[in-house]
Amino acid sequence: MGASEGLTEWVRRASLGQASAFSELYRRTRPQVARLVGGFAPLDPDEVEDVIQETFVRAFRALPRLKEPGAFESWLLSIARNRARTRLERKSSTRRLEEDVADPEPETVPHLPEALQLERDIEVVRQLIAELPEGEEKRTVHLFYIEGELSAREIAEKLGVGKSAVTMRLERFRSRIKRELLRRVLAGRWE
Amino acid sequence: MRHLDDGALRALTHQDAATVKYFAEHLAHPCDTCEAFLAAHDGPGLLDGQVDSLLLGLAPRASQEAPLDEVGLARVRRAMQPQRPGIRRWGLVAGSIAACLLAVVLLPRMRAAGSGDSTAPWTGQKGGAARIALELSVAARDDGGALRRLDPDSVVTDADVLLLRYHATEAGTALLFEQRAGEPPELLGEFPLVAGTHDLQGPQGLAGVSLAGESGLVTLWLVGSAGGPPPAEAVRELLEGENPTWEHTALAVIRFDVRVRNGQNRP
Ligand SMILES: [Zn+2]
Repeated sequence: MGASEGLTEWVRRASLGQASAFSELYRRTRPQVARLVGGFAPLDPDEVEDVIQETFVRAFRALPRLKEPGAFESWLLSIARNRARTRLERKSSTRRLEEDVADPEPETVPHLPEALQLERDIEVVRQLIAELPEGEEKRTVHLFYIEGELSAREIAEKLGVGKSAVTMRLERFRSRIKRELLRRVLAGRWE
Repeated sequence: MRHLDDGALRALTHQDAATVKYFAEHLAHPCDTCEAFLAAHDGPGLLDGQVDSLLLGLAPRASQEAPLDEVGLARVRRAMQPQRPGIRRWGLVAGSIAACLLAVVLLPRMRAAGSGDSTAPWTGQKGGAARIALELSVAARDDGGALRRLDPDSVVTDADVLLLRYHATEAGTALLFEQRAGEPPELLGEFPLVAGTHDLQGPQGLAGVSLAGESGLVTLWLVGSAGGPPPAEAVRELLEGENPTWEHTALAVIRFDVRVRNGQNRP
């Protein structure tokens, strides 16, 4: 993906302490982080904003230790998901307070798959979406991930369901993609 | 049949050959048990980030042209300064406090310093932009929740939170900066202005400026423009200038100084 190649150069510059590189990384990646965090149904807009801020503070602090600049976006999004989850667990009074989820250590971030591999992964995901039976889940996935313009809340309004229904559909689909990706990683290791 | 669990995930992370082989085959087919486990647990490794990066990368990428969220970045920068632990507390003041503030309507008003008769337009705006005049009143809320109005140059303590109320002649946008003696102004936030008298509040609620960790002279700058926000960097340069040229712009600039007495240093 051209976008992530461009990112890598800014990650290198940021790790050298260039202030403008941090701005550029923030500008380019904030939309993805906001989309990810905004998809967590029980978080209100203030909490989403706090989680976004905390994500970048943690990532920027640890960035000089990031061994694999090409992994920046995946690493950043992992941090964002952890932060959002931690915030949800703190918020929920019915669940016990769990330990703060640890961020992935920047030193141990593994190499990313080759660009070719990534393109294949994208094809697989598109295929899986195409193969979904026609219905609400497919429509939701299409609106959120393929068109990528409406927020989870807006999709809920459009489809006339609650935001948590949208989030559940997206999470369900995501866990299927995660299984498929894990399988591919494992198959690659075995070969 | 074996499904994913904590033990299996550990074995996969350590690349245990038998486990890898088993799950490479098992996960080739949909499995509700394993998918539920994957949804509720992180990893292995950066898998979650890779999945999200992949999924969020499917939509046309607008991030190359995304505008910089200066307010958000400024908040990140401030939060990254470890030597000022209190600063990141800026932002939210709970609803009960908003109610307290609403009860305080007799705050004195300052004349806007920058609302003179100058006609030169703000260079960042299209010509003929409406002029906006601002007035500002400031109240301090102490750690017991009591509010008191402040005159300019009042002495406050570092346990106080400053709350702002403005009067605007037009709708517009304001930037709020905080400046410590000898340091450049720092952007605290961007706020919509509504014509009339209102509490300063953003999408996150009522704005309160925490003074925790501060001492000495602290200056608040409220910079308003009719319409959209003026570029924060340009405003910062204007505020820092030896001879502030904002008097010749369409901006309304209000300065409010307080002197912070650090509670911990008191005898
Ligand atoms: Zn299974």
